[in-house]
Amino acid sequence: MKGRIFCLWTALLLALTGCAMTPADPDTARESIQVIAMDTAMLITTYGERSPAAAYACEDAIRELEALFSRTDPDSAVSRLNAAGSLELSEEETELAGILRQAGRYYEQTGGAFDITVAPVVSAWGFTTDSFQVPAQSELDRLLPLVDGSAVTVEDRAAALGPGQSIDLGAIAKGYAAGRLCTVFNEYEVPRALADLGGNVLAWGDRPDGTPWRVGIQDPAHPDDKEALVGVLELADAFAVTSGSYQRYFEQDGKRYHHIIDPATGKPADSGLTSVTVAAGTEAGNGAMCDAYSTALFTMGEEKALEFWRSQENGALFSMVLVTEDGRVVVADQIGRFAFTPNEDSGYVYETVS
Amino acid sequence: MSMRRSPELRPTVWDGLTALAVLLLALGLAFFQWRGGGESGELTAVVTIDGEEADRFAPAELLNAPRTYTHNGYTLEVVLGVDYENPPLNALPPVGTSGICVAVSDCPTRDCVRTGIISRGGQSIVCLPARVIIRLEGGAADPDAPDAVLG
Repeated sequence: MKGRIFCLWTALLLALTGCAMTPADPDTARESIQVIAMDTAMLITTYGERSPAAAYACEDAIRELEALFSRTDPDSAVSRLNAAGSLELSEEETELAGILRQAGRYYEQTGGAFDITVAPVVSAWGFTTDSFQVPAQSELDRLLPLVDGSAVTVEDRAAALGPGQSIDLGAIAKGYAAGRLCTVFNEYEVPRALADLGGNVLAWGDRPDGTPWRVGIQDPAHPDDKEALVGVLELADAFAVTSGSYQRYFEQDGKRYHHIIDPATGKPADSGLTSVTVAAGTEAGNGAMCDAYSTALFTMGEEKALEFWRSQENGALFSMVLVTEDGRVVVADQIGRFAFTPNEDSGYVYETVS
Repeated sequence: MSMRRSPELRPTVWDGLTALAVLLLALGLAFFQWRGGGESGELTAVVTIDGEEADRFAPAELLNAPRTYTHNGYTLEVVLGVDYENPPLNALPPVGTSGICVAVSDCPTRDCVRTGIISRGGQSIVCLPARVIIRLEGGAADPDAPDAVLG
């Protein structure tokens, strides 16, 4: 009898030990965390044996960047730069120089359609503080001369603004953060992950079933219906970002004012587009690029956006989906890397351009 | 030379019961592992406040009473909702998608209210001013459903 009891206990011990020591299957082991940062809600799902540690390292990375880039935290590097007009960067703050250089490059490429110095105008509309108001034209006329991305100077350990200028990294910071997550995923050997940083998605690897991640594009005409999509992008190892006039807005005297401010006019961009989605591979810098381009192309409008996409070899760099006010969905994809499945029930007319 | 088998080496009923117990134990553990630690299963609403899980419930529990969450100076009321495909009077019982939604919020943006009804695992309602996220987990898996939505 003693032998049988010993046998039973040994089997139990082995089974439990075996259960605990079974290596996590990278296809099923996963961790999901939700983070409220950068004025948005983020959901990060990581897979693999080190998925919990990787997910929380992602949160740490995002918090670090938020502490640098926030415009509302008075202690952030950006706030101190805005307050003083120039800033010596500590070793921990050199990442600010990196994002400012990228922002400067996108300012040049887009002819000023992307401009981080639009900050004072954005504040005048109340989008920074949620105290929305329509500024007087005289106020816009006073602020618009301050909007000039070429006046920002960056060195390895210093940054400076033009007189009276301030910057807002809201149209690039989340994309930059998505790019930083790639570093974390590599470090933690994450085989696959999906990071949704509030309109910025990083599709890392593919889904556990081996198919690409399916990322829907919200129908701007029905922003309150989560099931209403203009189509679905199939993404693997890619960034995708959507900028849309429906995402943040207020109404005054029966008129709607959205948050994407045209740096040229100081007013919400009136370009005939309701949303712009930009997707690109996970090469370094592309997260910020997608973020910045989605804003810039929204401001440009369909014609200039297509011209921009076709020029400077940009067509080989990114794909884009434009949704127009007149009910069309324009899909521009020369790479063929990201399949787009239209939602035929949406009522839109779909066009593919090359 | 013939050898007589020792009676102690013959399998007995107790040996059989021991083997059966080990087998049942193994099957039980295999089932536990197969469940994947609760990743799938019943549709569950998970509420996080300022990054910490504050509540977890089955949507049907909202039939008894709405749930209220207060944080950062704002209060949200979460209820069970039906997104009617037809006006309620035209169809009995009404046809539509049931899910959860924020019916009332005193936050300044009211984005949480405008989000409407969520009904599928992976969908969420966010109230940034209150720093509250209500996310649905589990439920029937749909391989064609988007993993994320841009916008």
